[in-house]
Order: sequence, then C-alpha cells, then structure tokens
Amino acid sequence: MSVTTVVPDHGELNRLLAQTAEGDRAAFAELYRRTSPRLLGVCARMLADRREAEEVLQEAYVTVWQRGKAFDASRASAMTWLVALARNKAIDRLRQHHHATADVACALDAIADDDPTPPLRAERSEEYRRLEKCMEELEARQRGSIQEAFFSGMTYSALAERAKVPLGTMKSWIRRGLLQLRACLET
Amino acid sequence: MNTSHDEDQNELRYAEYVLGVLDADARASIAHEVALSEEAATAVALWQGRLTPLVEALPEVTPSEDVWTRIRHALSWDAPRRTPRPVSFWSSARPWRWLSAAASLVAVFCIAMLWRAPVRVSHEAGHVAVMVSSIRQDNGITDWTATMDLDRKQIVVVPATATSVPTGRSTQLWLIPAGGAPISVGVFAPDTTAVLPLSAQLLARVGPTAALAVSVEPPGGSPTGQPTGPVIAKGALSGVPSPAVAG
Repeated sequence: MSVTTVVPDHGELNRLLAQTAEGDRAAFAELYRRTSPRLLGVCARMLADRREAEEVLQEAYVTVWQRGKAFDASRASAMTWLVALARNKAIDRLRQHHHATADVACALDAIADDDPTPPLRAERSEEYRRLEKCMEELEARQRGSIQEAFFSGMTYSALAERAKVPLGTMKSWIRRGLLQLRACLET
Repeated sequence: MNTSHDEDQNELRYAEYVLGVLDADARASIAHEVALSEEAATAVALWQGRLTPLVEALPEVTPSEDVWTRIRHALSWDAPRRTPRPVSFWSSARPWRWLSAAASLVAVFCIAMLWRAPVRVSHEAGHVAVMVSSIRQDNGITDWTATMDLDRKQIVVVPATATSVPTGRSTQLWLIPAGGAPISVGVFAPDTTAVLPLSAQLLARVGPTAALAVSVEPPGGSPTGQPTGPVIAKGALSGVPSPAVAG
C-alpha cells in the first residue's frame, strides 16, 4: 500500500478512527495511510533499529484496530491518541530490552534541534506553534532535556548519565520545565 | 490539606509518565491508575495534549510496504474466516463490556496487593476467598498479576509490564493442578485488564496447589484444548482450597 504524507486534518482523522473502531476496514486502511509516517517517525527516533520500529508500528496499529473504541474524541485528537499509543509501546519495548539508546539519541540530535527546516514549518499545527513558543521561554537546558526525554524515551537516570549531571539535577530541570510549560500553555 | 505544591507533585507524576522518563515499575503503576481512575486518565490525556505536538518536529518516516501486509496478516484479514465457538465468545465486545465494571472493582483490590508479596492469600473467616499470583517469565519479570476470586468464580488478569506477544497470536491462560494436565481458563488480551470466569467444573478439578501458565496460541486459542504454543510465563497459586473447604 502506498503511504502519503498529507497534513492530517483533526476532524477527518477523528472520523476515520471512529469508523475504524466500528470495524470499517477501509477507514482503517485510510487512517494507516495518513498517520503511519508520523508514527513511524516517532518510533524510529526512539528505537535504534528500523525493523524494531516497524514492529512497534505494526503492534500499534493492530491495537488501534482491536481497541479503537477506547478513543475518546472529547479527550484527545485522533493523532494525539495514536502518537501516545505508539510512544507507549515504543517506551515499553525500550524498558523491556534495556536498550542503550544514548548513542542513537546522539546521532539523531539534529532532529530535535530548535531550528526546523522551512518546508516542515509550514505544515505545523497551531498547537505546535504554541508549544514551541512556550518551549522557547524555558532555560536552554530545561528545554533540551524535555525534548530529549520526549523523543528518546530514556529514563531520568539515562538522561542524567548522558548529560553527565547528577540524577537530582536532571529531575529538577525537567520537573521545573514541565510545570513552567504547563503554566505557559494555560495562559 | 492539598497544597499547590502537593498538587504539582502529583501532576508531575502524570507529566513524567507522558514524557517517558519513568522506569518500568513506575510506568506500570501510572498505567494502572489511568485504567482505574477517571481523574488520572484526564490528567494523562491533558499532558499528552500538551506535549504531543512536539512530534511535529520529527521527520516522518514512510513504513515499508510489508508493514501493512503484516498488519492485515496479524488481524487475519487475508485468511479465510474461521469461527470456532470459543473465538466468537472471547472476541465479542459485549461480554467484555458487561464485565468491565466488575473488572474495575476487582482490579482495585488486585492493585492494592500488587506491590506486596508475590503471592498473597486473604483469609476471611477462615476461608480463602482471593488469591493473587504473579505470572512471571523465567527471567523473573512479572508479566501479569492474576487474582483468583473463588467467591465470584472468576480470575482477573492485569498486565504488569508490556509483554510482547507475536501479533496475530492469542495469549491463553491455563490452570495447572498439581500433577495434572493444564485446564484452559480462557484466551485473554495480554495488554489490558481481563476477567475470565471460572467454571464450577474447573474449580472442582483444582487441588490444594496449582499453577497458572500463559501460552501463546493461534488466534482464538489452542485448537486442541492443551497448550500448543510456547509457555511464556508461569505463576504459583498456593493455598488453593479444595472446593469443599472453600465454601
């Protein structure tokens, strides 16, 4: 099946996911076509191995088909729900296999860079722009740690080790950053 | 009294879960909370909403063609439809929906015990009503916690960690009486709380000690009535009373 990288529309994806939950195979195929490149991007960033990332992607979509009814459109957009599901599976796999992700994370650091490439920027959502603005208000090390944590799925201790700072320091950067982020997003 | 500091601390646990910095145990603990508490589920959903837009900074990666094929295969879309009786029951959403309320209640109890001894026996008025067993892999990692409730004649299986089961295969729970052949308890979803009824016949065949085992089977469960796939985890159930004593 060919996969396109259209900018997903919230309403359309919500509808496709709702139809998927009702057992509509065509809707599921369309949902996969529209959302799998984004989900694989997330998994590939966390898991070193492309094959493993695709396995997680496969597991994620099987779960979407089986448990799509758990999606609650009043709580999250379809894309947020799908990304959360895939991230949870990828993180669980990281914890299970005790992967050393640090090297991969280093190699892919550029991806998490604050300066996105121009063609991507145009496709970004309102939510992203708001979050980006709030992220920019954080101290550089708080912002960097939160981004790295989110993209890599590493534990506090792995992040601290990688940044060569005490565990308590890493926790405090991230926790203060998260609370500040929430405050900023709520204004 | 809840200070705003306390609230922040509590809130941060959900944020850390969503961010992905917690270790496996802490993650499992929050996942349980989310399954049981509306408040926790909402807090987690809010943090997902806040942080998930970050993924837009990542490049998209187009999956290989065969991922979709494998998904179809895992869902048995390409195979001729087989509908053995047990499959139609277990895969039907209705009994699960109906049982979910009961599952929540029992799961609360189960979780209260989850973090204590691996096998915990509740003695009430001299009879054993509930037993908890940790179903573990050979390497000691607990995959599921099973709570056997003799009064309600059911067993509740709660995932402790994400167990990777080959897609398209079913996980089946077996009760193994001491010295006896495995008795199927039922097929269950490996990644969510499952409630399986215990039939009177099954209870009658359980002796004073028994074990639980989980095997990986074809979709819908073992076609033979005995485990056909690999046993991926086992757990001891000690102190199972004989039915005569149980009442």
